[in-house]
Amino acid sequence: MNILEISNLHVAVMDKPILRGLELELKPGEVHAIMGPNGSGKSTLANLLAGREECQVTAGSVFYQGENLLVMAPEERAGKGLFLGFQNPVELPGISNVRLLKEAFNARQRHRGLPAMDALAFRDHLDQRSKRLGLSGEWLLRPVNVGFSGGEKKRNELLQMMVLEPRLAILDEIDSGLDIDALALVAEGINAMRDAQRSMLLITHYPRLLDLVHPDHVHVLMEGRIILSGGMALAQDLEKQGYGWLEEVAT
Amino acid sequence: MSSALHTYQREFHDNSTHLPGWNAWQIRRSRQAAMQRVMQTDLPTQKLENWKYTSTRRLSQTPYALYTGGCVGLYLEDLDPFLVDRQASHRLVFINGLLSRRLSCLDDLPNAVQVASMARIADESPAMLSPWLEPVLTGHDQGFAELNQALWLDGAFVHIPAGVQLIKPLQLLFLTTPFQEPIVTFPWNLVIVGKSAQALVIESYLTLGQGAHFSNARTTLVLEPQARLEHLLLLGESELAWHVGSVQATQKEGSRLDSRIFAAGGELTRQELQITLAGAEAECFQEGLFLAGRRQHMDLHSWLHHTCSNTRSRQLFKSVLDGHARGVFNGVIRIPPDLQNIQAEQKTANLLLTDTAEIDAKPQLEIHSDAVQCSHGATVGGMNPEAMFYLQSRGLDVDAARLLLIQGFADELLQTIKPAPVQEWLRQRLNQERNLP
Repeated sequence: MNILEISNLHVAVMDKPILRGLELELKPGEVHAIMGPNGSGKSTLANLLAGREECQVTAGSVFYQGENLLVMAPEERAGKGLFLGFQNPVELPGISNVRLLKEAFNARQRHRGLPAMDALAFRDHLDQRSKRLGLSGEWLLRPVNVGFSGGEKKRNELLQMMVLEPRLAILDEIDSGLDIDALALVAEGINAMRDAQRSMLLITHYPRLLDLVHPDHVHVLMEGRIILSGGMALAQDLEKQGYGWLEEVAT
Repeated sequence: MSSALHTYQREFHDNSTHLPGWNAWQIRRSRQAAMQRVMQTDLPTQKLENWKYTSTRRLSQTPYALYTGGCVGLYLEDLDPFLVDRQASHRLVFINGLLSRRLSCLDDLPNAVQVASMARIADESPAMLSPWLEPVLTGHDQGFAELNQALWLDGAFVHIPAGVQLIKPLQLLFLTTPFQEPIVTFPWNLVIVGKSAQALVIESYLTLGQGAHFSNARTTLVLEPQARLEHLLLLGESELAWHVGSVQATQKEGSRLDSRIFAAGGELTRQELQITLAGAEAECFQEGLFLAGRRQHMDLHSWLHHTCSNTRSRQLFKSVLDGHARGVFNGVIRIPPDLQNIQAEQKTANLLLTDTAEIDAKPQLEIHSDAVQCSHGATVGGMNPEAMFYLQSRGLDVDAARLLLIQGFADELLQTIKPAPVQEWLRQRLNQERNLP
């Protein structure tokens, strides 16, 4: 069964059509990259999949592990293993990283009908993952995203993904604002999460991340549709030539 | 004259000789003068600008009875939920406004530190009180503070001598046990922190059980040069209680006051804070958190006077209002002409959880000097939809997400509180008293 199956998807935001007939299929264990110029609808796709209310579906369907995703509340999607790494995650003053992670983790446990993990075991689960991303214990006590640099916010999103171990991770520009070292860490984190069951959808402007992650498929999103799909070679073409040469294909 | 004031006046006349310190002329004169002033002005009404949003009708019309009886039969165990960690604190316990020696514990106070019943000090050593009898008056609508000045029956007298550091927090617990007939208590507390001395004082007003009563409290804080005082005020009385309180602080040079107020209880709570920075390098940090639900009414009036150059103040007041709750915030910062190098910052943030909750927030900067760095900001809003979506996308349902955001909003103020047992206790009390979702 496909993890994700999107057919003829039309989505409007504030009555403005953004996605116009998007088709996409993800199989278990596959990593797909979606590239495209600004305003092509990449973030709208990510937000729609996570359940943001502002995204109105005007036509088409989205199935997630065989179920109609569009009727599920955002928290239900999360409970069933869908994760969105935000492009610009919001600041949550007064809520520490560790508190959020614990609440999110236990919500997932509840959804799976499992008991909450005891504090020590959770701490262990968390420490292993935060160390891998070079995030200190003090970091975990800081309020979520408050005063974080762009790169720190991205690492924080990735840490949440690693803790929550989703079936499908959608990472919206997880590579923007990262320096080379941070990018390597993030790529390493993504690669460590890859397995035969988990699928990922990487949304990015730049092929830099893809060089480190090697997705199975690369798609170009323009004018609200996937206009071209291929492998890593396509990403490399885009790096050399930009998106201009594709405009004809799009229209 | 309002009917309640009439009753208080009669009480005053009939029982004046039983009032603490009546035999000492300074105290007697201070009481009489205060009664006279309040008789002239009457209790405040909504016609006064400072009371515009807060109705005192019930307080002016209900004749609450003065409690003069002895202590009610309570065991220390009954107090457990109301006390900060027993081992790790000193405490004075007042039941219905009167000191209970049996429930208090001052075993290991450092030498020379004085913590005593105000009534006893007034009767035995009235001269110790005379410099502090007249409050720093800042306006003409001091009706309830005047009433307290005329009628106070007890309270805490605290003196930390120069250079002494009080390690454990000192808790002043004012616990009311409601009766059939609603009672009024008039505590007056005086805390003097000597030169370079240091203390943490936790003043808490709580109710045992549910019932109507009225607390009219007044606290005078005196910070001598380089003194450092953390003053934590918790208002968590029953949902039928009315509380009108005022804190007046005078800070001398180089002193530092950390004043924190947490209010969650009461049907009506009105707290006034008047702080005077009267010496160079004096600084004051004020924080406040108000949690109100149902039809609770909470009113915070703050006056901050910079009367000396090179002084600093920072204020952050937050409220969370649910149901039909009503909040009032008025924050005056006053800086007279010719002062140099003043820093003043005031922020207020208000979270409205329903369409029927309401806040009137009014920053009021009266700045007559140019050499001032002053900023203020007030925000009023509902739940941030971005934050809600973020938490839902992490698997939290709407209720859990909402609760976490409310807790986060409040926690910004709670998490800085030290030591840890005090923070933990305060958290539990607030969880107990507030009726938030």
